Amino acid sequence: MNVSRRFFLKVFAGSAVASLAWSNVSNSAPIEGNLATLIDLSLCDGCVNLRLPACVQACREINKNRVPPVKEPIPEPWPRKTIEDWSKKKDVFDRLTPYNFLYIHRAELIVGGEKKTFFIPRRCMHCDNPACATICPFSANHKFKNGAVVIDEGLCFGGAKCRDVCPWNIPQRQSGVGIYLHILPSFMGNGVMYKCDLCHERLGKGKLPACIEICPRRAMIIGKRKEIEEMAERRRREMNGFIYGKVENGGTSTLYVSPVSFELLNKTMKKSPGKPDMVPGIKRRMEITDPLGKVVLFSPLVGAVVGIAAGWKRRKEEKND
Amino acid sequence: MTRHIDEEKNLIVRHTKIELLEHWLIALSGLVLFVTGLFEMPFAKRYYISSVPGLGWSEDYIVTLNVHYAAAIVFVGTSLFHVIYHLARGDRGLIPRKGDFKASLQVIKSFFGAGEEPRFDKYLPEQRLAYIGMAFINFMLIMSGLVKTYKNLYAPDMSYGIVLTATWIHNIFFVLFFLAFLAHIGAIVIKPNRPLVRGIFTGKVRLDYARVRHPIWLEELEKGTKDG
Repeated sequence: MNVSRRFFLKVFAGSAVASLAWSNVSNSAPIEGNLATLIDLSLCDGCVNLRLPACVQACREINKNRVPPVKEPIPEPWPRKTIEDWSKKKDVFDRLTPYNFLYIHRAELIVGGEKKTFFIPRRCMHCDNPACATICPFSANHKFKNGAVVIDEGLCFGGAKCRDVCPWNIPQRQSGVGIYLHILPSFMGNGVMYKCDLCHERLGKGKLPACIEICPRRAMIIGKRKEIEEMAERRRREMNGFIYGKVENGGTSTLYVSPVSFELLNKTMKKSPGKPDMVPGIKRRMEITDPLGKVVLFSPLVGAVVGIAAGWKRRKEEKND
Repeated sequence: MTRHIDEEKNLIVRHTKIELLEHWLIALSGLVLFVTGLFEMPFAKRYYISSVPGLGWSEDYIVTLNVHYAAAIVFVGTSLFHVIYHLARGDRGLIPRKGDFKASLQVIKSFFGAGEEPRFDKYLPEQRLAYIGMAFINFMLIMSGLVKTYKNLYAPDMSYGIVLTATWIHNIFFVLFFLAFLAHIGAIVIKPNRPLVRGIFTGKVRLDYARVRHPIWLEELEKGTKDG
C-alpha cells in the first residue's frame, strides 16, 4: 500500500502537523536553539500497513534530488579500487544508503512470555561531540548550534573517514559525484558522504524535519534539548523503561525511549554496512585523545614560561662571565 | 680569541646546546606532525601503508590524532620557548635585514658560477629570509591547530566560518611546511653549504671554513661584540 497522499500534502505544503514539543511552531521563524529529538519505541508501529514507513518515505521524498547525477563511468580509485555506487539501487530502503537516510529496524522479542514486535527508526544520532565532524580533514562535516550534524556535499571528498569514526558507521558514500571529480579523481577522494542532516534547511525555514512532521503516531518529536530530555525521562519512568542516546558516544541529541531494554533490542541487530547496532553505553572513542589535546592547548604557556626562565638565567650567567 | 673558538681543533661553536635542542625538537616533532597529519587524511588505508608490518596503526584516526597531539605539544611548546628565549636574550642573528633579498639573489647566482659570494655574517641572507618564512608557516599552523584542538575538545559547534578558516589555513600551510622542509633539506645539496651540516649535529663548524665564508661573524666575535 502506498503512503497516503494526505501525509505528503501535509509535509510539502508545510501544514501545521506539529509535534507535541512544537505545537505552536510558526511556518517562517527559524527553529533555533539547542534541539533534541525523541523517538518513542512504544508508539512507533513501523507503519506496517504502508509499503514504506511514512517517515522513510517522507525523508526519501525530501532528499530525492540530493545526490547529483553520477559520472559514468565512475573513475576507478587508485590503488585501492573501492567504488560504492548506489545510483542503480536507489529503491533500497531497509538500510542506510546515500539515497536512504532513515530506515526502520524490526525487532521481534519475547517479553514476559509474549511475542512482541518493536520498530526502531535508525538514522544519524547527531552526537554532542561528533568525531565524524570534528576530525573531518576538510571540515566538510559540521555540528551546528541547533544540534544538527550536517555534511556540506560541496566540500566532501568522500574519504569515508566520518563513517570509520562513527560508532554506528552512519554516513554512506556515493562514488562518482562531488568535488573530487574536478581535482585528482583517481588519487584523492572517492565521492560524497550522505546522511540525515536533521532537515537543517527546513529547520532554518521554521519547518519540522520531514520524518517528524509526517509521523502519524507522533512517535518522533523535536524540541528544546532540556524539554526533550525531561520528556524522555518522564516517559521512561511511566513505562518503567529505558533511554538510549543520552550517554552513548558521549551524549547525542537523539533520545530513544523504550519499554524494553536496549540490550535486548541490540541482540536483534547485527551490525553490517548500512545497518547500525545499538550497543548500550557505547563510548566516545575520541575521548582517549582529550587528555593530550588539553596539554596541547596548555603547551604555548609552558613553552613561554620556560623560555623566560631560561633566557633570564642565561643572561645572568653571561653577565657573571 | 673568544671561548667559542678552538684553534687547536680548528672548530668554532655555531650553535649552543639549547639551540641544537630547539632545532631538533622542532624538526623531529614537525616531521611526526607532518606524517600523522597525512594519516589524518583517508590515506594510509587507501595507499596500503597500514598493510606494511608495524604500520597498522596508521589507518586508525584516533591513534594518529593522539600521536599528532603528542608531537604538537613538543612542537608548540618548543616554538614558544624559542621565540621567548631568544627575545629575552636579544638575539637578532636570524632576523632579516635590509638588503637580504638582493644579497640572496647574489648568493644564488654565485652557486651557478655567476659572480662571487658576498662576505657573510653568522647566517646567510637567504637563511634569514627562510627563517622568517618558516616561522610564519609554523605560526599559522600553530594558531590554526590550536583552534582546531579547542573545537575538538570544547566547541564542536563553533562558528562554521571559523572552523573552515582554521581548517583550510592548516591544510594550506601543511603543504607549504612540506615545501619549506624540502627547500631546507635541499640547501644541503648545494656544495658551499655542506660544511654547515656538521654544525646542526655537533654545534660546531670548521674554523677555516668560517674564516673564509663568515668573516663578518668572526670579526664581530673577535671584537667581542657578538656572543656566538
